[in-house]
Amino acid sequence: MSRIPSIPLKHEPRPESPRSTEGDKLVVGVADLQVSRDASRSIITYALGSCIGVTLYDPVAKVGGMLHFMLPESTVSADKAAANPAMFGDLGLPILFDKVLAAGAKRERLIVCAAGGAEVLADDGHFRIGSRNRTLLRKILWKLNILLAADDTGGQHSRTLTLRLADGTISIRSQGKDSTLWPR
Amino acid sequence: MASLNDTIAALDRLPALPATSMRLISMLAGGGRDADLREVERIVSHDEAVTASVLRRANSAALGMRGRVAGLGDAIRRLGTRELCRIALETQTSGLLANAGRSYGLRRGSLSQSALGGAVAADELALFHRQDREIAFVAALLRDIGKLAIDAIAGPDALEKIAAAADTRPFLAYEREAFGADHAELGAMLCERWSLPAEIVRAVRGHHEPPSAPAEPLTDVVHAADCVARWAGLGLGCDGLLYPFDAGTRERLGVTRDDLESLIADVLTATAPEDSAGSLASSIHLRKSA
Repeated sequence: MSRIPSIPLKHEPRPESPRSTEGDKLVVGVADLQVSRDASRSIITYALGSCIGVTLYDPVAKVGGMLHFMLPESTVSADKAAANPAMFGDLGLPILFDKVLAAGAKRERLIVCAAGGAEVLADDGHFRIGSRNRTLLRKILWKLNILLAADDTGGQHSRTLTLRLADGTISIRSQGKDSTLWPR
Repeated sequence: MASLNDTIAALDRLPALPATSMRLISMLAGGGRDADLREVERIVSHDEAVTASVLRRANSAALGMRGRVAGLGDAIRRLGTRELCRIALETQTSGLLANAGRSYGLRRGSLSQSALGGAVAADELALFHRQDREIAFVAALLRDIGKLAIDAIAGPDALEKIAAAADTRPFLAYEREAFGADHAELGAMLCERWSLPAEIVRAVRGHHEPPSAPAEPLTDVVHAADCVARWAGLGLGCDGLLYPFDAGTRERLGVTRDDLESLIADVLTATAPEDSAGSLASSIHLRKSA
């Protein structure tokens, strides 16, 4: 079928939607990002499926940030990209880097980790949103000449990702189990 | 492990769909043509949560128009009967689902948000594929109602343990092994008990495994909408992405990657919390430096 025409959206936010803070946690929603240099806090994002959560952390300045992007390329919807660039990896990642550096981090000290990019079961190559998100992330990091310090991506499971700003610990909760992604 | 009889018995212990919701569905099922505005007004004004939703929606629709709505009467006139039915039903379903999905490890409100996201996608897909938009909207809104039954029968951590050991079979297969029926079948049973239209029952039953012989266009729409909501990150519990996108549905709807991504972006925009999407300006927390 040809492109589905976008119809005007009339739905509004749900009252049950997660707030941007929960106690000492800064919550990153889907298509959202948070940056902080408050070492008493953690940054968390819930239920990463095919979306990818990316964390940046400077262990000296104790500045960190997290992006939860949903789709790789903003070309799919110019108006959505203008309204919320964090929805797309190609726009959200540069913004995350800019904001973390503006908050006092140094590029050469950044530890970059990622989680998510799962694929729906038996995706026979038609959509592959998770793996395209993973490819986009690697492409952008390669252009920036930055390596991923650690990642937990792919599979079919959802993941919750947390960055602790006091020491940069990155933890993941998936299928009821907790694990530490960084330091390894 | 629970027997099928235990599982079906659990359906009796679940809260019923409010009578007013059933009335709204029957009005919507007639394309809104049979809707009685005065009856809808009564439903809206007698339910505080629905009144609040209607006023919020009317005010957001009024942005850039003739200022804020003056009151409930004004909101009702501006929105129209069909839209009022949808808002009322959405609000009541959201109440029913607010705490659902605990056994899947879902946070409060996740399943309501996923129900709405799927309904938004189903509405767009139904419009494009010339299916009944109201039926598609209602069926997608109710598609995961069977998770209420799983919550009632699954022991603590039961599903998380199942998911941790899962290989590459669809999650419904594990539910059937553990409970004798999966959440799609249980949802369809609930919809039957509530005497909802047969096409809604079929779409709820087939929303993960749409039939191909014969194919059901409405079920295809609701199945695709469910996948879109999942890709938008909505309602992801320990079952994660352990549900395939049916190849037959993909071919019958002729859905492309661009179509899907555009729908995913729409669904996210429609369900985004107020203080999250697009709020980059307020996303830096610098308490120490303040």
